[in-house]
Amino acid sequence: MYIQIKDLCFRYGNSKMNTIRNFNLSVNQGQIVSILGESGSGKSTILRLLCGLETPSQGVISIGGKTVTDDRSFVLPEKRGIGMVFQDYALFPHMTVAENIQFGLKGFGRKAKKQRVEEVLDLVNMKDFSKRYPHELSGGQQQRIALARALAPKPSLLLLDEPFSNLDADLQIKIRSELRDIIKKTGITSIFVTHDREDSKAIADRIITMRDGSAYDWDSICTIKSEFPEEQPMTIS
Amino acid sequence: MKLFRKLPGYANIWSWLSLMIVVLILMPNITILLNFFTEKAENWGHIQEFILPDLLKNTSLLMVFTGVLSILIGTSLAWLVSAYDFPMKRFFKWALILPLAIPPYIAGYTYNGILNYTGVIQTTLRNQWGIEVDQKYFDILTLPGAVFIFTLFLFPYVYTITRAFLANQSASIVENARLLGRNAWEVYFRIVLPISRGAIVGGVSLVLLEVLNDYGLVQYFGVPTFSTAIFQTWFGMNDLTSAIKLSATLMFIVFGILILEKVLRGRKKYSYASAKVRPLTPVRLKGVKAWTAFSYAFVIFSLGFLIPFIQLVDWMFLTFDKIASPEFTSLLTNSLLVSFVGAAMIVVFAVIIANFARMHQSIVSKSAARVTILGYSIPGAVIAVGISTVFIQIDQWLFGFYDWVGMDPTLVLSTSLFMLISAYVIRFLAIGYNSIESGFDKVGHQFTEASRMLGMNVTQTFFKVDARMIRGSLISGFILAFIEILKELPLTLILRPFNFDTLSTKAFQYASDEQIHEASLASIIIVIISGIAIYIFHQVLEKEPN
Ligand SMILES: Nc1ncnc2c1ncn2[C@@H]1O[C@H](COP(=O)(O)OP(=O)(O)OP(=O)(O)O)[C@@H](O)[C@H]1O
Ligand SMILES: [Mg+2]
Repeated sequence: MYIQIKDLCFRYGNSKMNTIRNFNLSVNQGQIVSILGESGSGKSTILRLLCGLETPSQGVISIGGKTVTDDRSFVLPEKRGIGMVFQDYALFPHMTVAENIQFGLKGFGRKAKKQRVEEVLDLVNMKDFSKRYPHELSGGQQQRIALARALAPKPSLLLLDEPFSNLDADLQIKIRSELRDIIKKTGITSIFVTHDREDSKAIADRIITMRDGSAYDWDSICTIKSEFPEEQPMTIS
Repeated sequence: MKLFRKLPGYANIWSWLSLMIVVLILMPNITILLNFFTEKAENWGHIQEFILPDLLKNTSLLMVFTGVLSILIGTSLAWLVSAYDFPMKRFFKWALILPLAIPPYIAGYTYNGILNYTGVIQTTLRNQWGIEVDQKYFDILTLPGAVFIFTLFLFPYVYTITRAFLANQSASIVENARLLGRNAWEVYFRIVLPISRGAIVGGVSLVLLEVLNDYGLVQYFGVPTFSTAIFQTWFGMNDLTSAIKLSATLMFIVFGILILEKVLRGRKKYSYASAKVRPLTPVRLKGVKAWTAFSYAFVIFSLGFLIPFIQLVDWMFLTFDKIASPEFTSLLTNSLLVSFVGAAMIVVFAVIIANFARMHQSIVSKSAARVTILGYSIPGAVIAVGISTVFIQIDQWLFGFYDWVGMDPTLVLSTSLFMLISAYVIRFLAIGYNSIESGFDKVGHQFTEASRMLGMNVTQTFFKVDARMIRGSLISGFILAFIEILKELPLTLILRPFNFDTLSTKAFQYASDEQIHEASLASIIIVIISGIAIYIFHQVLEKEPN
């Protein structure tokens, strides 16, 4: 198993109940997993826990065989080597596209940096835009730059939080298949969050449904029903 | 178990520096409170019996009357400017903040200079019309006179906060009241005043804290208060311990005000950020009403800024040749130097604590933020007492070290600029902090988090991302702190090194030596720099929402 999450619990400081309750999940290397769930079910929270932006009160997370969170240790987010595409992209407004992408390329030489920027821009078909500032790009273009920026440092895991939520419907359908192609080309293990079934079906190898902070697994896409199942949360392998 | 998970997040330089800053701020205050209960003072019995009642009486009178009058003037002008259009309203909107550019002590001696026997009013009456007036009607050096000055030059605190509230938050309530057929006065007294309660309380508590902080005006007007008594016992009677006890008493009064503010303000903060801010649409006044509104605003503006400003300019021209000398240049350099260094340190410290507080939404970081703001409520004289006590103590510990490096074992730190600047930092850190915190709030967490996901640690993220994004707030925090230090009097008077004068201390000395005209050049520089800052901020604030 490439990613293992065991019995994860988490509560935001100002809420009374656990937002995440005994969450379990394992993901194979190279798999694209989609977490599907209603608004407020805790999808974004899971991603934030995975990448270390929040600290769980209980549970173990390991990525690529390395434990990043348990009772005795906590690896800081910048040390985890995870790429993330945020819901609102969070492109740095004071940097150009190229500078945004270069930002994560620590320890690259000058030439290597330039080359890597070109590679990822090529990957997302945005070669001609490297000198632009984020506000000079359309929503779909911004999203592709955000993806390029996350992929540039060659992370071991890619997280995407509602990557289509800011796009209009037509664009969403067009970009959906493109996104799957790009991710598959890099072969990176990915988890992406959405509340749209069609998104999940189009991109994911495997779909997890989330409700009230726990996970329910669906191995094949065609078994998705319109109703959520009533069973207890179960451990997935 | 939980601790081990949380610890790595805290283990960085920001936490350590924040801790240090919090200790620096708390130390003088705690020293004062501890000494209040432990040390014995020779004159304390005497002070308690003969002086304290007077101090309490004067302080209460000043606070009550200044408070009530500032509310009346501040809220009525805020309402007038937010809800009506009248001639020159756009100008008055920011010009009514200008009285804050003139510190009360400067306003005080300027008004005295205007009104006294040799002043412009009496000489005109005498020379033009041969009228000799009874001096008692022209004597401003009284407690009511002090109330007059405090009110005119501090009411903008109430005005600005209330106006901001009314402009953004009151539209639907006020419009409904109007639709229900209430007339203007009813709307003002039954709707506007009650709904702005939080804003008014916030503004008036700033006014009261300024009254308690003041030393220059009450000293000049001969109205004994805690600040003057602290100076008197410390330097007149050489009784630091009694000065500490007086300081502690004053601190209790401050805490009383802060608690009262919390209670009166109620649960809602006065500026709740509602998603949809709809501005109040002003009603156009016509004819007599328009000119009445104009006259009211104009009279307050004239009394609070125009008249003293013109008088100062006039005196400045009279005395310019005599005053403008190399010596004066060194005053100016001193002032700019301490203000610059102080403001820079304030911004650095404020950034450290604000960034720390933002990273950890915990009790620890929230308390750190609270402590940071505390200093602004503590009167200058009290901070001065506290910080000298601490520094003298540190010097005594270091005597051995001074000796060892071959220096005279004397008071080194406690007679240096370092002590004065530390005091500025403690007193005005809140100003920088508030500015920077609101900058961070506006930017949010997303860019910081994106940067950390790209492998940058907290510090790298700060310099590469956060600092760039809150640049505006850093600059405005710096300017605001700079202005406050430039105007500051009691701390500077007490803590400055021997023979070190600034514009404010020199202006005060001239005025105290009955050389009111000579004080004008230093004063006018302070007023003009502060006025420009107010103007710039008004422009920035007005543009921002769009
Ligand atoms: N910073 C926060 N502080 C307190 N509670 C929060 C915070 N962020 C989220 N929550 C709460 O935690 C729960 C899960 O939120 P989360 O953002 O993970 O949901 P989500 O599934 O991503 O929803 P959406 O699809 O709307 O993005 C919600 O009830 C939310 O109100
Ligand atoms: Mg979400």
